[in-house]
Amino acid sequence: MNKLYIWAVVFAALMIVLTYLSVGTTEGGLNDDVVNQLAVAGAVALVVISVFVVVKYVRQMQVDTADGDLAEESWDGIGEYLNEVPKGWAILYILTMIWGMWYFTMGYPVNAYSQIGEYNEDVAAHDAKFAAEYKGITGNRLVEMGESVFLAECKVCHGISADGIDGKAANLNQRIEAVAVKHAIMNGANNFTTDFPGGMPPGLNYMFASEAELDELVNYVVAGMPADDTRGAELFAQGTCNGCHGDTGEGMPYAGPKINGYDIATVSSVLKDGKKGAIGTMPKFERLNAKQIEAVSAYITSLSK
Amino acid sequence: MFHWLEKNPFAFAVVVIVTIAFAGLVEIVPHFAQQARPVIGTTPYSTLELAGRHVYIKNSCNACHSQLVRPFKSETDRYGDYSLSGEYAYDRPFLWGSKRTGPDLMRVGNYRTTDWHENHMKDPASVVPGSIMPAYGWMFVNEADIDTSYAEQLTVAKFFGVPYNKPVPMKDGSTKIIKMGATVEEARAMALAEAKLITADMKNQDVKDAVENGKIPEIVAIIAYMNSLK
Repeated sequence: MNKLYIWAVVFAALMIVLTYLSVGTTEGGLNDDVVNQLAVAGAVALVVISVFVVVKYVRQMQVDTADGDLAEESWDGIGEYLNEVPKGWAILYILTMIWGMWYFTMGYPVNAYSQIGEYNEDVAAHDAKFAAEYKGITGNRLVEMGESVFLAECKVCHGISADGIDGKAANLNQRIEAVAVKHAIMNGANNFTTDFPGGMPPGLNYMFASEAELDELVNYVVAGMPADDTRGAELFAQGTCNGCHGDTGEGMPYAGPKINGYDIATVSSVLKDGKKGAIGTMPKFERLNAKQIEAVSAYITSLSK
Repeated sequence: MFHWLEKNPFAFAVVVIVTIAFAGLVEIVPHFAQQARPVIGTTPYSTLELAGRHVYIKNSCNACHSQLVRPFKSETDRYGDYSLSGEYAYDRPFLWGSKRTGPDLMRVGNYRTTDWHENHMKDPASVVPGSIMPAYGWMFVNEADIDTSYAEQLTVAKFFGVPYNKPVPMKDGSTKIIKMGATVEEARAMALAEAKLITADMKNQDVKDAVENGKIPEIVAIIAYMNSLK
C-alpha cells in the first residue's frame, strides 16, 4: 500500500477525533442534540470525501503517463493534448446555453422587477378595491364621499364652505350667480363642448326691452326659477332661453344645461371641459373617476338644497 | 484563427476590447438615445414662458416646490402622470427640486388657472388657508427680463438644436411650431402679445395697464410659465 493512503487515513481519523473532542463532549453536545449530531456527521463526511478525492488526484499525478495526440502549437515547450471534451462538462455547457437563452428571452423580461410595473399593479389593485368598496354607494355616504373629494380637489378655489372665497371662484351654494347669468346672456358661452357642442350665442340681452327687464330675468334665474313666478317665466320665454334650457330650466340634451339647480350631469359637464366665464377660468378635471364625479355632484347638489 | 489569437496575446487583448466595446455600444446607445429624446408633446418654452422660468429660479421656487412626480399612486392622484426623463429635454437646468415644502408643480398647468395664480401670488393664504407660502407682491411690480430670455432661446437653439420655428410633434399626431423672434425687437413684441392673452384673464388693473403700456410684470411671465407646465 502506498504511504499516501496511510497518511490519508491518519489525517481523516485525526480530524474526526478533533471534531469529537471539540463538540462531542460539551454540555448539550452530541448525546442530546439531533442538530449537532447531523452537523458532526456532515463534518465527518466532508473530511472523508475531501481526503479521498485529494488522494485520488495526487496519486493520479504520481502514476499516470501521458498519451494521445498533441496539438500543433506549444508554449515554451508545454504542449496540449487534443483530448475529447469531457462528457459531463459538455452536457453542462449546453444546458447552460439553453438556460441562458431562456433567461434572456423569457426569464428576465417576464419576471424582472420594474418600478412602473409595480406602479401599474398598485393602481389596478387600488381601482379594483375602490370599485368593490363603493359599488352600491348612495345617499348620505355618497354625499360624504363627495365632500372628501371636494376638500381634496375643489376647495383650493371654491373654498372650504364652497362659497367661492369672496368671488374668487363660483359660489356653489347656489346654482348660478347674477354676474355669471348676465355675462352668459351678453357674451354667450361655449364651455361644455362635449355635452353641449352648440354653445350659447352672445347678444341675447337684445331680447329684453331694458336693463331693468334683464335684471328681472337674471334675478329669476338666480332664485332657481321658482314655479310661482309667472313674470319670470314670461321673460324666460321672451329671451328664448327656454329654447335650449327648457321651460322650467331643466335643460335639454345637446342643447343647454340644467340651470335651475345642480344634478350629476351638470356638474360632470363642468368637470369634463372646465369653464371660462364672468368669474374666472376653471380647469377640467379628468383625473376624477366616474364614481368620484357622481359623489362630488351629489355633494354640490346637496349644498343648494 | 483562434490558435493564432492564442499565440498573439497583444492582438488578442485588442480584439477582446473591441468586441466588448462594440457590444456595449450596441446595448447602451440606442437605449440612451431613446431615453434622452423629448417625449412627444414636449415643446420648447416661448420667450415669455422662459422669462417666467427665470423668475421662478430667481425667487427660488424650486427650494420648496419640486417638479418631479414619482410613480406612486399617492403621487399621481395628486399631481397627474408620473414624470418621464424626456419631458425635461428643454429644461436647462431641470428644476426637480430636492424637497417638497409646497406641492409638486410638474403639471400645475393642468389644474390651476391664471386667475387662481394671480390671487395666490398676491396672498397665498387667501385661497389656501394655513398656507405658509409667502406673498410675492413684488412680482406685480418688477419687470420680467425678456431680453435675457431671448438670449437664452438663441443660445439653446444654436448650440443644442432646440427646435424653435420648427414643427414639434404633439400627442394627437399634429405638429406645433414654437416661434422665436428673428430680432430682439420681434421677440419683445411676441412676448407682449402673449402677455396680453394672460392679462385678459387677470383682474389686477395695474398689471393690465403695465402690459397695455408695453411693460411685462414678472407675475405675467411666471403665470405663463406655470400654465405651460403640463
